[in-house]
Amino acid sequence: MAEEFLVVKDLHKSFNEFKAVNGVSFSIGKGEIFGLLGPNGAGKTTTIRMLATVLKADSGEITIGGHSVRRDAESVRNIIGVCPQDLALYEDLSALDNMVFFGRMAGMNGKEAKEQAMTNLKMMGLVDRAKGKVAKFSGGMKRRINLAIALMGNPRLLFLDEPTVGIDPQSRNNIYETIEDLRDKGMSVLYTTHYMEEADRLCKRVAIMDGGQIIALDTPYKLKGEIGSPEQVTLEDVFLKLTGRSLRD
Amino acid sequence: MKRVFFIAFNEVKLYLQDKGDLAFSLLLPIVTFALIYGAFGGQTLFEATAYVVDEDEGAYSSIFLEQLEAVEGVDVELITTSQADTKLERSDVLLVLHIPDGFSEALTSGERTQLVFRQRGNAGQEGQIVANIIRGVAEEMNQEFQVHRQVSDSLQGKGIPEDRIEVVVQEFLDKERRQPVVGVVEETLGGSPDFVNQFLPGIVTMYVLFAIAMAARVIVEERRKGTLERLLTTRLSVGQLFLGKFFASVSRGFVQTLILLGLSYAVFQIFTPLSFLESLVIALIFAGAASAVGLIIASIARSEDGATWIAVVFSVITFMIGGTFFEIAEGTGLYTISRFSINSYANDAFNVIIAQGGSLADVGPELGILAGVMVVGLVVSRLIFRVVPGGK
Repeated sequence: MAEEFLVVKDLHKSFNEFKAVNGVSFSIGKGEIFGLLGPNGAGKTTTIRMLATVLKADSGEITIGGHSVRRDAESVRNIIGVCPQDLALYEDLSALDNMVFFGRMAGMNGKEAKEQAMTNLKMMGLVDRAKGKVAKFSGGMKRRINLAIALMGNPRLLFLDEPTVGIDPQSRNNIYETIEDLRDKGMSVLYTTHYMEEADRLCKRVAIMDGGQIIALDTPYKLKGEIGSPEQVTLEDVFLKLTGRSLRD
Repeated sequence: MKRVFFIAFNEVKLYLQDKGDLAFSLLLPIVTFALIYGAFGGQTLFEATAYVVDEDEGAYSSIFLEQLEAVEGVDVELITTSQADTKLERSDVLLVLHIPDGFSEALTSGERTQLVFRQRGNAGQEGQIVANIIRGVAEEMNQEFQVHRQVSDSLQGKGIPEDRIEVVVQEFLDKERRQPVVGVVEETLGGSPDFVNQFLPGIVTMYVLFAIAMAARVIVEERRKGTLERLLTTRLSVGQLFLGKFFASVSRGFVQTLILLGLSYAVFQIFTPLSFLESLVIALIFAGAASAVGLIIASIARSEDGATWIAVVFSVITFMIGGTFFEIAEGTGLYTISRFSINSYANDAFNVIIAQGGSLADVGPELGILAGVMVVGLVVSRLIFRVVPGGK
């Protein structure tokens, strides 16, 4: 594996009596897309919140780019970008205003923020809608803006929490290509999704979480190989085999 | 620190985009002001214009016009004979005073002369009052001439120069005007003579209290939009976020107050430039205190509705016990309770500046308490804030 950029060791987090994350450990290499999969309530979002410095872990250690999240959260925030599952946008502002604002929050000056906003909008195929109000955008356009904002400030590690929920194939494909392009440029990505074919296509390795623990971690090919022929078995088959078929909340 | 201002600027930008919010917060003070003006704006002293055709343009007509102008509530407007004819013809004015040619010359030579009223019908109520005021001024002038004549007649042949008699008599008359033998004192019963002075502080503090609700919503709104978590994964700290929201809320509360006080200044003329600025300082500090209280509510509330309701209930209680539109006598139980309301201190401070003509130096304790609430509120709101349950 390439040089480790994110290292998580024995992470724990409880809310009252409920153990949301229970001894999670994994690492992500530089330029790697790492998939974090799991049914609803598995502990993925809590894990990402702790990695993104929003939530304090009860115990365990997280290191990103050599900086400890517990001891040096500010340095960590300088090198991460977060694309949350729910759209986190100011709908009354234009796409450009949203991006420039988050760029300024990421420490860029006005000129830099505007230049990078235009570059990101171009990458997302939205440059001609730069000054359009986000409220008037389609779901796919909003998803692309949501991702474009996460790229402001040139993060080295990107957290993508279900970035393709509810969008058309064209927008989804645009997002895939963008993520692959970023990976090729050396960015590390932690990717969560419920679309297994998406994880299979993008992720070098995936971890499957359930009940706050990682129950499997390997390349999609090897995970598929554990239950049958990798060419005939899907990652969804693996997922269902490991997490069961009972419905979750 | 830059990021604090970006947060505040962004908040103001969002506020300007929300037309409903904008209309509510900016138009409402103007509507309230219009209501105050409608209710109390007309209850001023009598004011009227005396239209005068001065055909004489001599020394005594000038003195007469000066004395008429000196009467409180009367403005003198000089017009020509033809203008007077036109205005009377069109009923633009109902009464015109003509000072005839030779008025001053006649008085100088000791002859009798006359002023002429030309009027439309009975000259209307205002015209009759103006006519009576003019008669009063003419009567005063008559008495002065009589005093001059009697003193001159009695001193005639005693070798006293005429100009010396003139000076002494004039000094006597001036003294009489300043210290009349029979003076008039006004005693007002049944409430304040000036409703604007009495109610404006309450209305201003009421609007600033809205800042509590506004500040209470801002953080919860960010949480609902999902931008709160996103912001806190950037270099922005929670403290900077709170300060930015605080400044935005203060700006909004302050702009509302500025509109109200500015209109009051322009229309009711109840301020001097200094007292206006002092009132703005009080408004700013009070908006700061209210916004900080709003941020405490924002830190507790988990939903926008929750934040709004807590803020509304808190504001209404504060408003009610704070003696906003009524005076609370010191030493009473209600007075003690009112001391727990931040707007009682703001009301007191505004009253001292607006109604009593005091200065900021006279309201130091009140401003100190409001500033204290502001600082403590900011610190407490930050300490109890959690991004997500169990979070930082």
